[in-house]
Order: sequence, then C-alpha cells, then structure tokens
Amino acid sequence: MPVIGIPVDMLNERIETKLEPDDMVVKLQQLGCDVEGYATLQRFGCETCGFLMEITETENPPVTCTACGEDFKENPGQISERGTSEVIRMELLAVRPDMFDPAGLARTLRGYLGEFVGPVNYQLGKPTITVTAEIGLMDQESANYRPIRCAVVRNVKLDDDRIKVLMKLQENLHWAMGRDRKRASIGVYDLATFRPEKGLRYRLVGPEEIQFVPLGKKTESTPKKVLEEHPKGVAYAHLLETKEKYPLLAAARADGSEMVMALIPIINSEDTKVTQKSEDLFIDVTGLDDRLVDKILNTILTSILELCPEASGEKVAIQVEGGEGFESPDLSPQEVEFDTSLPARRIGIEVDSDGVKLLLKKMGHGLAEGGNGKVTVQVPAYRNDILHPVDLVEDVAIAYGYHNIVPSLVPTFTVGEETPRSTVMNRVRQALAGHGFLEVLTLILSNEADQFEKLGRKDGAEHVVLAHPISQDQTLIRTSILPGLLDTFSVNTDQPLPQRIFEVGRISKLDSSEEVGAREHLRVAAAIIGSRVDFAEIKAQAESLIRELGLSGDYDCQALTTEHEYFGTFIPGRGAAIGKNGKDWLVFGELSPQVLENFGLGYPAAVLEMNLEVLLN
Amino acid sequence: MQKVQEIDYLVLTGLADESTPLELAQLSRKIGLDQAKVSAVFVTRQGAELQVEEKPYLELSIGKKAKEWGDVLPERKIVQTLDSAGAALSIPEIAEKSGLPSKDVGGSLKVLRDKGWVEQKGKSLELTADGKAAAAAPPGPDEQIFAAIAAVENYITDRELKERGLPVEEALQLFEARKGVLDVRERVERFATLSDAGKQMVDSGIAPVKEVNLLTPEMLKDGSWREVEFRPYDVTAAAEAAHPGKIHPLVSVFEKTRRVFLEMGFEETESGYVESSFWDFDALFQPQDHPARDMQDTFYVSNPPRTRLPDEELVRRVKDTHEGNGDCQSVGWRYKWSRELSEKTVLRTHTTASTVRALAANPQGPRKVFCVGPVFRRETVDYKHLPVFHQVDGIIIDEKATFANLLGTLEAFYRKMGFSKFQFRPAFFPYTEPSVEVFVWSDKKSDWVEMGGAGMFRPEVTEPLGCTSPVLAWGLGLERLAMFTYDLGSIGELYRARLSWLKGVDLCRL
Repeated sequence: MPVIGIPVDMLNERIETKLEPDDMVVKLQQLGCDVEGYATLQRFGCETCGFLMEITETENPPVTCTACGEDFKENPGQISERGTSEVIRMELLAVRPDMFDPAGLARTLRGYLGEFVGPVNYQLGKPTITVTAEIGLMDQESANYRPIRCAVVRNVKLDDDRIKVLMKLQENLHWAMGRDRKRASIGVYDLATFRPEKGLRYRLVGPEEIQFVPLGKKTESTPKKVLEEHPKGVAYAHLLETKEKYPLLAAARADGSEMVMALIPIINSEDTKVTQKSEDLFIDVTGLDDRLVDKILNTILTSILELCPEASGEKVAIQVEGGEGFESPDLSPQEVEFDTSLPARRIGIEVDSDGVKLLLKKMGHGLAEGGNGKVTVQVPAYRNDILHPVDLVEDVAIAYGYHNIVPSLVPTFTVGEETPRSTVMNRVRQALAGHGFLEVLTLILSNEADQFEKLGRKDGAEHVVLAHPISQDQTLIRTSILPGLLDTFSVNTDQPLPQRIFEVGRISKLDSSEEVGAREHLRVAAAIIGSRVDFAEIKAQAESLIRELGLSGDYDCQALTTEHEYFGTFIPGRGAAIGKNGKDWLVFGELSPQVLENFGLGYPAAVLEMNLEVLLN
Repeated sequence: MQKVQEIDYLVLTGLADESTPLELAQLSRKIGLDQAKVSAVFVTRQGAELQVEEKPYLELSIGKKAKEWGDVLPERKIVQTLDSAGAALSIPEIAEKSGLPSKDVGGSLKVLRDKGWVEQKGKSLELTADGKAAAAAPPGPDEQIFAAIAAVENYITDRELKERGLPVEEALQLFEARKGVLDVRERVERFATLSDAGKQMVDSGIAPVKEVNLLTPEMLKDGSWREVEFRPYDVTAAAEAAHPGKIHPLVSVFEKTRRVFLEMGFEETESGYVESSFWDFDALFQPQDHPARDMQDTFYVSNPPRTRLPDEELVRRVKDTHEGNGDCQSVGWRYKWSRELSEKTVLRTHTTASTVRALAANPQGPRKVFCVGPVFRRETVDYKHLPVFHQVDGIIIDEKATFANLLGTLEAFYRKMGFSKFQFRPAFFPYTEPSVEVFVWSDKKSDWVEMGGAGMFRPEVTEPLGCTSPVLAWGLGLERLAMFTYDLGSIGELYRARLSWLKGVDLCRL
C-alpha cells in the first residue's frame, strides 16, 4: 500500500485538542492506521499543472510530475522548491478511503476524541447542471458500460496545500479503490472554464474524432495521439486496448463550441484544470461498477467538503439519453439493523446499550431507535466497509479502545494432541542428532536441474510445477530432499570435515486421487561428506534409522538396478534400496563422482533418503 | 625411602658424587638423560635441592662474509701485496696480485682506512708508514682470533680462546664495526651442584618412580599402576571443540511454538502445500478480485492447474455468501462468484487454509486447533522475505469465546516465547472482524514490532461451514520470531545455513 504524509498542522487545525506528534501517532494507531513515524518532507511544485510533490530526506527530487507527466529533466524550470512540512507518514488503510487525506482523517479523529459525535450532515443543493449520458455507457449489458456519477462543490478556497491534498487524494483513490484506474477513475475540473448551463455530455468518441489539449501540454491532440505520446496516455493505454470508442466528458464553451473536459480514464484537458483561483469544482467518477463509482464519489466529495469547510456541495442531474434521469450523488446512509448487546458478547467487554450507541456515534454513525434493544445504525455514505453487523462491532471496539480491553483466556478446558507426523519427525530428529548429524532446512521450492540432472536421477514427471516462478531456481516443489543437502555442503566447503547433515520435511507429488491433485509425503534425508566416507557407514545409518523407527523385522536390501529412479545418483554397484514387498522404504549409497562434481563438491559423500510415509499409513 | 620422579632421581644422584658444580651438557652425558629433561629438573629443583649458577659465554664462528677468506683477514693480504709491490696499486691490480676477489679488496677499504694502513690516491691505494710497519709486524688481536676461529669446524667459545691466552676482548671490540665477519652468539652455561638440602635428601635415600602417559588395562590387571606416576597435563591447554548433532534453530522455534499450543489444549492439524483457491481464499471470504490473489503475489500452479472442490452444498453456500445471498445477513461482495477461479490450484499462502479445513471438518466447539507449517508467497526476495516461510495458525471454536480471549491467547503465547510488553492495534483482514495486529516491545530496536495478525472469523466464513460459535483465529510468522530470538540480520542465514552457525547456536537460546 502506498505511504502518505499527513501534515501534522493540517490535522491539528481541524481538531480542538492540540496533539503533539507522538500523541497523534498513538491516537492514529489506536484507530488502526499503520503509522511509520513522522518526518520532515521537502516539497516540490510542478509549474505546469500545479501539483505538489513531497519527498523524504533520503529520496531524490522527482524527475517527472506524478499528475501530468511533465519531464523535469527536459524542462528543469517547471519544478520549484516549496519549503518543508512536518508530516506523519502512514500506510493507506485500504478499507478506509475516507481517511486517505488529512481532512477525512481529522473527521474520524474528531469523533474518536469525542469532540463531535454522530454523523456529519452534508447538505447538498439542488442540481443546476445536467449531464447527458449516452445510453451505451449507462447500460449494464453494453460492452462499453461505464456508469458515471457527478457532484459540484461551490465556493472553495484553494491554496498550494489544499490543491496538493486534493490531487493526492484523487491519486490514492485511483490506486486503492479504482485499482490503478482499472475499475474506476476520477476527474476534477474548474467549473469556471466552461458554460455548465449548456449541459455536459458524456459520450463515446472514435480515436481520431475530436481534438483537445491534454493536461500539461500546449497543443491539441486526438485521443489516439494522447494514448501514443502523452505520459499518462502511454501509462494507461492498456485500459482502452480492447475498445473501439473511448468515453469522453465534454462541456460547452462560451461560444457554444464543445470543450473536452476529459478523455476517460486517461487524462483531463488543460483547459479545465483546477488552480488556486478555482472557486467552483465539478467532479466526475466513472467506472465498471455503479456501486463502486457511488462510493468513490461520496468519499471524494465529503472529503473535499471537509477540506474546505467554507464550501458547499451541489447535486448534479444525470440524464441517460433515451432513458431515465436521476440525481447524483446520493449521500443517504446505509442502514444496518444492529443488536446493541452484540458488542459486549463478541468483544468481551462490559458496555451497555447507551454505551454502545455513544461509541457508534463517536465513529461517525447515525442511530435510529428500533425498540427491543435493536437500533438501526445509519452508516455514512462514504463508508464502504460495513458488510455485516460485525463490522460495526469492530467500530465499537475501536472507539472503546483496544488498549482498554482486558485480555483473558477462554474458560473452556480442552485436551491437546499432536499429529502422528510430528511424532515421527521428532523421533527421526532424535535418532539422527544422536548420531551427531546437524539438522538443516532447505527451500521447499526447487528446479529440474537440481532435482534430476545434477542428482543423476530419472525425471518421472510427478512434480508440481509453478505457473509463474519468481526465479529459474524455484520452478517446482521438490520431490527429493537430497539436492538441498548437497547444496548445503556446497556453501560449506571451507568448513571442517567430516560434515554430517540431515533434513526431515515434505515433498509433493502429483496425485489425481487427491482433491487438490497433489499430495505431500514426509521424507528424511541424511548425508555425510569427508575424506573417507563409505558404504558401510551409510548402511549402518540406514539400518539404525529403520531400527529406531520400529521397522525392523523382515526387509529386503537390494542393489539398485539401472531402471531405478536413483541409479545414476550413486556409484554403480554402490547404491541400494531397503524395502519390503517391492516398495522402497529408503535408498542409500555412495554418491557418484559426477553428482559430486555437479554440486561443486570436492570430497566423497554418502547419502540416504527415506520415505517416512511407510510409518504413517 | 622418598619417591621422586625418575628424571629428578637421575639428576640428584648424578650430582651427588661431584665435588664441583657440573655443567648441564656434561651432566646430561654422564647420566644419559637428554638435555631438555635435565633442564626441566634444574628449573623445578633450583633454589631447593639444587644450586644452579648461570655462566654466560660466547659462541664464535666465521660469519657469512668471511667464509672464503681462509684464516687471514684480507687487509693483511692487501698490505703485504702493496709492500712487495713497493708502489701504489689500483684495486684490480691489488686483486690480481693478492688473489683476493676485487669485491673483498673494495670491501676492505674502510678497515684499511680505520687502521690507518692505506691512503687512497685517485684510483690507487698507497701504503702508509703504519701500513708498512704493520706488514712486517706480527698479526693483531683480531687477526689472531680470526685465525683461531677459522681453524675449527663449527664454533669455538670465548672461554676456550681465553684459555689459550688469546686477546678475545680486544679482538671482539675490533670486530664490532665489521658486520658479517664473525658470528657471535650469546649462550649460557648452567652449572649445578647439590645444596645442603639436596645432599640431605640423597643421603636419607631416594628412589625413582617411573612416570607414564597412559593408564593401560594391563596396569590395572597386574597392579603396576601403583608403581608409577602419571604425567600431569596442562589442564588449561585447549581441547578440540566437540559439537553434538542438533535440531535446526528454526525447528526449535517451531517445536517451542507447538509445545506452547499443545500445553494450552490445542489439537494439531495439517494440510497440503498444494491447495485450491477455494480453501485458500474463497472459504475465507477473500474476494476473487482481491490483490493478494493476483499472480504477482500468489504462486499459481501449472501442473495440476485445477483442483476438485468439496461437496456441492458447501460450494453453493460459499458462492451465495460471496454474492450477498447467504444466510448470514451479509451484503457480501456483490459480484458474480466464479467457480472456475476457485478451482485454480495455488501453493497455500497461509496456514489459515489448514485451520479453516479443520473447522469445516468439525465445526462443533469447544475445540482448539493449530497448525505449524510452510506457506508460499510470490514476493520479492530480500533480507527478511523469502518465497517460502513458516506460520502458525490457530483457531478457538467456543460459544463463550470473545475478542478479549483472543488478545489473552496471543499474550499467553508471546509471554511463553519470552516477551513481556504487548500492544494490540486494529487491523484489517478479509476473513476476520474485529481484526487485530499484535506488537511486542523490542528493547533492541526501542520500538514496537509487529508479530502477526488475528481476529474473529467473520460470519461469512463460519456460517457456510455450519459453525454457529464464535471462532478466534490468528496467523503468526515464525521466521520473524526466529530472527528476533537468534538476532539474525537476514532470513537467508536460516536456509543454506553455515554449519559453523548451526554448531554455534547453543541449546539454551530458546
């Protein structure tokens, strides 16, 4: 998740209790924010689009503008230093986009600190602007379905800081809720740059049908050119890859001609960009899912209203061509029936109904009485994380303070038991450690070369293969533990000899009788390397293991024949298998010099590998 | 009869019949004992039974430079040559006439000037009056000494030379400025004699005791161990390090973890590394478009690419819950749930897959279940991340279980692992609500460190599985705990381990 810097001053301005940075950090952590600490940030402004960027003391100044893509290497005059600020650095909490910015965060803090309890009532004026939307964009069945929601904010007073917060918020919502614009995108425009009373149009255009000046540039381009040449176009062209026509939002100019506001979801136009002088803002959110689009608009609108308390919001009328009209946004709360005795039961604290109600109000919810200990909780429209009453229980717990909950143990007595596999693993460890072997742990993921070619072992194609390995060394789940042991020897060639190591763990093999198509098998492998290592020694170890694990009695010991999976691993005539009724329990012997060479080892070695499943079935 | 070590016996008796102090080398030869042993006795008995006097002397032999000179110093040959020539000669001429190598002639210039025997006139040397006199005079002290030393094969002592009446002191002074001509070594002779105490000891009777190294079975058999003494050893000398076979330090962490949960009444469970997306994600109410399910973060398997699913009834309930039509009052994720996506094979991303399977197998409480095992995540490898690491997941199914009990259980676990200060902070996981992250205080880092996540399973998880009790759940990273316990800089030190490190981690560390 991205890390954001919340200016301490901005938070303190919006709450009554002035908090020292340390205290602020504690409070934010109590709310569930992942605070990394606080820092002094250096601020840089993009002269082209006005965006403010901040970097930590260890980072380098930005080379491109994150908002408009302006290249500062080519145009060094377009970046300017704008002082420093004290910020609290925290990771975005993905489920609380209403806390992505200082104003929204302050709203939550105010409630938590008890300064303002209950929901904030955002009064929205009646719509004065209509957006006409092409039916292809608003019809769920259409391939171009991309619902739109809009809002207006009047009388904002913007300065450097506020513009920066606004742009950062837009960027973070794009990333977190919009999934890097794949699922939704946001546009914010200066209302004064167009004639809104003539109405806005939301429609589809062909790649070369119109021209406009994209943000950050001075000349017009067609959408096609923007996708090919503009930095944001290049970055997000993949979102329109399969489309023949692109969504466009446009307004009318004073002279009646069309002015493009945005090529969605790529870039806004330069003409409509928001500056410090902007007084009225138009916001649009479009995306693949109308619920998501609603939530994003609700979030950004209410956060802007928090950021600019002097401003007021206004609805927008959306008219689907040849279809229904409706007003946007709809800030009515989500209503959830809630049993006020649930928190005490689920959390394990003493809190009565009134207490629960107060705690819910501190978290910004509204309440309506329902009788019988039930209330209807009115969850604010900017909250997207309340799926079930237990989500409200968590809000109550947070408001109560996790640090105030007294930990205790479940009063029920139960009897524990370990798995047979664990019992076997520990017996094996005891037996081998008793012989002076050191236990090692190697990676469960391996590769064909290590597992087969280098080990001189036949590939039976029984292994589980990864679709997208992270490296060529780790493409499958091991089917033998031996390569890991030999690899361990190869990183210890400077250590005294002899070396004796073992590993007990699981391998995986394909198994169509299993629900998941594969099954793990417990194995142990042991290896000795030194100046004088021989078959007798490893055989003694093999038999010792068999005896200690309770398998003695009749068994066969046979030399490995050429068809055996492990024939090539050992010196011919010096590899053997112990088993019964045609099933191998273990293989052992002196490692072939070719295998030693393959693993970069300069001394003879003897190994054994045992299938411990024989003890578990 | 007093018993003494054999070597002491030989030295004491060897000196008993000497009237004058005897030198060490001579005593050695007399009693047939090697010098090192005699020396040892001198050291131990000195000041008690023996009086030992040290007399320094010099060992003189011919030096490297003078090996080819025979027994005459080159300056003598030079003045004799000049004398017979009767005139000044150049260096090559001197060399030819005297038979000396020219380097020795050139090398003698200093001593010739020091002795005042020669004057340098341009490229020639001319005999001075003193030089002429010296040519006729008998050899000087240095020449005499040199000749005497040259006459012997190895070395001769200053004492021997003095005994012959040779002027040793003078000669040595003259040779002091001439490096490499003589090899002079300082030595010490040690003369010993019995003191009164020593004489008394010998007179009253002493007998040697044999000293041996090894006690043998034969000595035990025939009782001869009573007749000997065992050579004492230097007990402070280092012994070769011996290392036992041991379990791996990370396995110690696993085993301690297992023991703690077994002690708290938990049953152990386990499941496969290869898992269906259904059990790893869907049954845990993780939405199908959650970023963790991206192929960047999860290892999808190409063989086998698909898994089977558990019984249809269960699959349907999970589907309904995701879509918001389940029985548990949840609005769900409100998308279309895809069966195909749930069949995609993955390597399990958490051991929660194991505990949720255990929950499904028997949703009836009271039960406590845990699982320790490896999990797989497709993350960039760095000092604290590997694609495979280990977790312990646990669940408590109990109608009386509360969130406060979850905090209590986590505290109990970490207390047993050696931590004493805890902090619980709200967190978010798709399958638990409320959720929490547990932090422990690290004195070393002077900060709170996150150790794992936990929460109460959402009803969307428990109800499709037929569980009506609250379920407490947690997943804790074990490599993280190990890095703390063993103070490791990098997770790679645990895997591909250095044997020296494995040997060095003592059993008491955990």
